[in-house]
Amino acid sequence: MINTINKDILKKVMVVGTFSLTLPFLAISNSYGDGHIYGPNPITLKGYKGSKTDSTSYTGQIARQLMHNSLKKIVSKGNPSDPTGGPGKKMLKYFEEKDKSKSMAILDPKSSSKFPVKQKMVGEISSGANLAGKSDKRKQVSWPNNMSGGDVIRFMIKKAGKISGGVDTRNGMNYPQLISKYTMGAVLYHQACDNYLDEKMTASVKPNNKPYKKGAAYTGKEHSWDEAFGYWGAAAHTMTLSAKQSYNVAKKKDLKAADFNKDGVVDLYKEMTYAHAYYASAFDKGGKTNYLKTVTGAFIDGRKIITAANGEKLSSSDLTKIQDLAQVICSNWEQVIAEAVFKYAGSVYKDLGKVESALKSGSGMDKALSKYLKHWGELKGFAMALQAGPDNRSDTFNRLNRMMGFGPLMPNLSQVVGIDSAGNYIKDQGSSIAYYKLHMLKIQNLVGDHYALKARANDATGGMAALIEKMGPKKSAEND
Amino acid sequence: MDQFYNFIDFLTSNFLDPKKRVFLGYLFSGFLIAFLWVLFVKKISFKQTFSYIFDKRIYFAKSAISDYFLYAINLFVMIIFSPILLSQLTIATIIFEFLHTQDFMIPIENIFVVSVIIPVAFTLCYFIVDDFSKFLVHMLMHKIPFLWCFHKVHHSAEVLTPITVFRTHPIEGFIFVLRNAITQGAVIGMFYFISNGNIDLVTVLGANIFSFCFHLFGSNLRHSHINICYWRWLEHVLISPAQHQIHHSVKKIHHDKNFGVTFAFWDLIFGSLVFSKINQQIKYGLSKKENYIKHNIFQIYIFPIRESLNILFTIFKKNIIRLCNFFHVSVFKFKKGF
Repeated sequence: MINTINKDILKKVMVVGTFSLTLPFLAISNSYGDGHIYGPNPITLKGYKGSKTDSTSYTGQIARQLMHNSLKKIVSKGNPSDPTGGPGKKMLKYFEEKDKSKSMAILDPKSSSKFPVKQKMVGEISSGANLAGKSDKRKQVSWPNNMSGGDVIRFMIKKAGKISGGVDTRNGMNYPQLISKYTMGAVLYHQACDNYLDEKMTASVKPNNKPYKKGAAYTGKEHSWDEAFGYWGAAAHTMTLSAKQSYNVAKKKDLKAADFNKDGVVDLYKEMTYAHAYYASAFDKGGKTNYLKTVTGAFIDGRKIITAANGEKLSSSDLTKIQDLAQVICSNWEQVIAEAVFKYAGSVYKDLGKVESALKSGSGMDKALSKYLKHWGELKGFAMALQAGPDNRSDTFNRLNRMMGFGPLMPNLSQVVGIDSAGNYIKDQGSSIAYYKLHMLKIQNLVGDHYALKARANDATGGMAALIEKMGPKKSAEND
Repeated sequence: MDQFYNFIDFLTSNFLDPKKRVFLGYLFSGFLIAFLWVLFVKKISFKQTFSYIFDKRIYFAKSAISDYFLYAINLFVMIIFSPILLSQLTIATIIFEFLHTQDFMIPIENIFVVSVIIPVAFTLCYFIVDDFSKFLVHMLMHKIPFLWCFHKVHHSAEVLTPITVFRTHPIEGFIFVLRNAITQGAVIGMFYFISNGNIDLVTVLGANIFSFCFHLFGSNLRHSHINICYWRWLEHVLISPAQHQIHHSVKKIHHDKNFGVTFAFWDLIFGSLVFSKINQQIKYGLSKKENYIKHNIFQIYIFPIRESLNILFTIFKKNIIRLCNFFHVSVFKFKKGF
């Protein structure tokens, strides 16, 4: 009897003990291992003899995110009278050089008491990456003279290097915005969707049963997928954050949300939000879209499938699943860029109204023009970025480029129409401001319909639909 | 069961929406006005007033019952066809975009004008333009034989109840949707442009303030047997219920009169205004010649289509003969040739 009671008690103690011991592990697995975090992932590569235990790697991509951030910073702060050779050289360094000597400082984000960051130099994350080598090689019809993507950025950098603050008010070019937004497309989006998630997700290219390159700890497919994730720019723990938190991380306003491992500093490799993921967060926090988590979730799901193959060649069904997820990622990514085009076309529309008022009243032009050129730079940069993807929607792009022009319509109605052999802008008389405003409306219609946009920020005609709704749609058969 | 509740919800939606004329609140205010009118102007007892207003011979007349059926069936017809009908947004966008190509009208930047004057002006302007377009379309429905085929469904009502407003052929319903899309779209497009998108509607309970007042002060009595008259001077400005009841009269002398909805001055301008008389006795419906539409739902839907097609065919035949005469082609030879 005593034995039986003892056995029962023992059983209960064991059950409770096991449960209490398991609970903390379950909690840990909920935050690290249940698919909410991108990485770490085990080494699956057959025959790997090195010491690494994590096959996840996208350091080169984060280095490029930091170079992009820093490049924008220099362009906007640059001073052509700088005795060290002017900002042009410095800008080109961030665009073209590989930080082999670990001498490239991270200019954005910089450590502060409110938002301390772990790394100070780009080389602390990766020492062999640059932006120029990964830029879109195709001819760009959205910019004069059919330059390649890299040449367009180089051209803009050279122009920006000669102007204080990077804004050419004569021709209407806001280079910090143009360079930043176009680099996001021509390097980050282009590499991810027109390379890593495109041809590198076919069976024969970068197979999963071989290392990505000799001596690597990861397979071809693992690393291709990781690289695309790095270009997306989301923090590894994005799925645990709200869109607003992710947005505030990019804005360096929410250390608590960023510092996932609670070591008191933000690891710029894993814990920061960059570029496209930042824009996705910005649209999602409005509540109408879910780009950030759709894309990040698809990246995590895809990585799980690749990891589960355990270093073997991906089966055709796994390959199909991966390609489907790549499609989800790139179509949503494309929509994020299209949402930005839509948003800034709306901003430009509003700004043009203020430019018209300034022209009429004879005051306030500087302020109105500055805002207009900033928003136009963002609009043009994103419109060019949209064209850096894998899809060739020539008709849509042609219409977009035609309506936008190569430069903004200036208050004196002049507009850049080309570039001469010496690299100077050629200008001509453009349409009226009212017509150019109409073009912005048409750009919103074109992009909004073509990409089935939902966030539709700054919708210039959105108020009409809301007003009609308020007035009550009269679709009933009634006499008066 | 869910479908049943959805159906009930669907049927009752108009009665719970203050943007609709038959909103319960407006029906209540209308009957209250009627009650006070009969009690104090006609000076009959409380009990008699009650039985006069809620006369079951009216609300359960064959004509009224067909109105109820038409209301329910038309709801479904309009739901099915509404996605393909021209929307206000399309017209508003066209007007808004067109205004960017001209110079005579420019957006207003003044904050006071945009925030205070524009909403009031927009609300009033829309109400007036909407009312005029209703007058115009109504007049055309009477004057053009092809359109009259459909509008006579509304005039075939032999008793008037607030639900008679829904006694409408669906084709006429589509014409009204088109009218609404054009007027609402044009006014919105124009005001949206001049205010740089900063317009709003002045509302009460979500309804245009002017529509709210119009309905609150007895718009439902237009389609009723309560013949409330206004002072003569007011009947120059606003259409009284009794004036609209004249519009429904069988008498030839009353035909094509009082087309207006809210304002009477449209009729005054176009020479179709008739004033009401206290205690006027009016027989509603169509003249004997046209009164082939009975209160059979099938006939109500089909007869106007058949009649309108006959009109179109007659016009077509007449024009073919005219064309043949013009080109000196003998109709006989033409026929023989074939």
